[in-house]
Amino acid sequence: MSPIKHKTIRMIKDKIFLFIVGALTLLAILPLFHIIISIIEKGLPIVLERGLTFITGTLSEGGIGPAIVGTLMLTALATIIGLPLAFLAGAYAYEFPNSFIGRATKMLLQIMLEFPTILVGTFVMGILVIPMGTFSALAGALALALILTPYVAVYTEEAMAEIPRIYKEGGYALGCTRAQVIFKVITKMAKKGILTGILIGMAKVAGETAPLLFTAGGLYEVYPTNPLEPVGAIPLLIYTLVQSPSIEDHQIAWGASLIMLIIFLAIFIPIRYSLKDDIKL
Amino acid sequence: MDLKKLLRKIDEFKIITLPAIFIVFILFVLILGFYFFNALPAIERYGIDLFITNVWKAAEEPAKEVYGLAAPIWGSIYTATIAVLIALPLSICYAIFVNDYAPKKLKYPLIIISDIMAGLPTIIYGIWGAFILVPLLRDHIMKFLYEHFSFIPLFDYPPLSGYCYLSAGILLGIMVTPFAAAIIREAYAMIPSVYKEGLVALGATRYETTKVLIKYIKPAIISGLILAFGRALGETVAVSLVIGNSFNLTYKLFAPGYTISSLIANQFGNAVLYEYMTSVLYSAGLVLFVVGLIVNIIGLYYLKRWREHVSH
Repeated sequence: MSPIKHKTIRMIKDKIFLFIVGALTLLAILPLFHIIISIIEKGLPIVLERGLTFITGTLSEGGIGPAIVGTLMLTALATIIGLPLAFLAGAYAYEFPNSFIGRATKMLLQIMLEFPTILVGTFVMGILVIPMGTFSALAGALALALILTPYVAVYTEEAMAEIPRIYKEGGYALGCTRAQVIFKVITKMAKKGILTGILIGMAKVAGETAPLLFTAGGLYEVYPTNPLEPVGAIPLLIYTLVQSPSIEDHQIAWGASLIMLIIFLAIFIPIRYSLKDDIKL
Repeated sequence: MDLKKLLRKIDEFKIITLPAIFIVFILFVLILGFYFFNALPAIERYGIDLFITNVWKAAEEPAKEVYGLAAPIWGSIYTATIAVLIALPLSICYAIFVNDYAPKKLKYPLIIISDIMAGLPTIIYGIWGAFILVPLLRDHIMKFLYEHFSFIPLFDYPPLSGYCYLSAGILLGIMVTPFAAAIIREAYAMIPSVYKEGLVALGATRYETTKVLIKYIKPAIISGLILAFGRALGETVAVSLVIGNSFNLTYKLFAPGYTISSLIANQFGNAVLYEYMTSVLYSAGLVLFVVGLIVNIIGLYYLKRWREHVSH
């Protein structure tokens, strides 16, 4: 084979390669646009038709108000339960990265991050719902807290690890104790990273369905008031409505998906953009 | 004075944080113990048959109840494998494109799009999968394959509803691609630039350069795919909306099936009516727990080792 011909073949291979890489990248991100367009196309008409009723009304009035309040309630409760635990565990993993307990904690948190969420739901059902005899917002929030904790802990640990060592040394040189250095100096400096972790964790659990299946119960006709009683949530409502045979229910499910998508994107995109500088390229 | 000295010795930090660590560990042990304890009655009663046979007979009388979890266990592994096979080319190409070839203006949007996809609530994938993706696949891909290629055993199940292993696998593939892509992209960005410069200096084309560089990050790619596999195993609601939910121990792509997590999601609600079903479902959960644990530990360990190897 002549050298020229060989070179042409290599060049053609190169072109084909570039084309495939570009095309597959496009294919990888295409579903997101398809999802957003389909949800807007199917969800917008119903939301516009019902107007404010869709956001504030109960299910029989054709709205998803109680579900929205339920999601807010569950997320807030889950944050209250999970946050202290997560912050302290993250701080510990940061302070003792080389000790056995520190390493084991970090490993455990990363494993919990990938833990099948449905198993958390059935676990909480076994330890809380069955003894209490009723589904409750508390049980749902506990299940969500178990999912939130590793997220926030890992983010806390990573945010703290990025603070230069010199600040820690400065703190000790001034005579601070370990607790003062970590909780007063490092925490304040890593504030942005920790807050980001908390928000991402909250956004994550607000969209979870599986852990709520057997814990929250569902409540769509009245607004939830008591955390010891069943409560609804938007993802749970969508899951129930999708399985129903009626077209009317499907429409509400699309509308609810649109509301959820908007809330999710409104929280997620600004956070992600604020972290833009952290991306390594 | 002595008291003060003693107080200084006590580390407030440890006192405050250790209870939290303790709770995290206890919770983990408690969950494992809880699943094991609740799975025991079913395992004692059915023995190994529980995991290797495919039967599901729920009966009012406990003596007539027979369960075997082979189909859901197979379904979980099968759909997760399809998902990883889809995620493999997509995530590698995405990583290469973002790092090397994307115009500067496109880089951040591409990364953010992929992150949004990784964080998008799974129920949104579920509703899109059930109402949009499944009919699309059924009408344009499955029917075509069934009509023209049904002599291949993989394709010879009539795609009536479209809710099947293939749909679940594809939906899972879409969901785990950004997750695997993030790990691979990070690894690709960590390759020391001397390698690339050396290759270019040798006169390698872009294709040849990338081929070598991909070999360099092979361990990271494998661990990314293992972690993606683990994530696909545990996914619940999106899968249960598209898989068809029936006990079917088959490799045929267009057959409806079950995964462990979708089985639990579907049956747990009415399991209390039967003597052994709850325990059987907890055994299924235990299987998912243990398999997921092993898969994730292997993936995380591999990834950690690779990162240490590169940074040295």
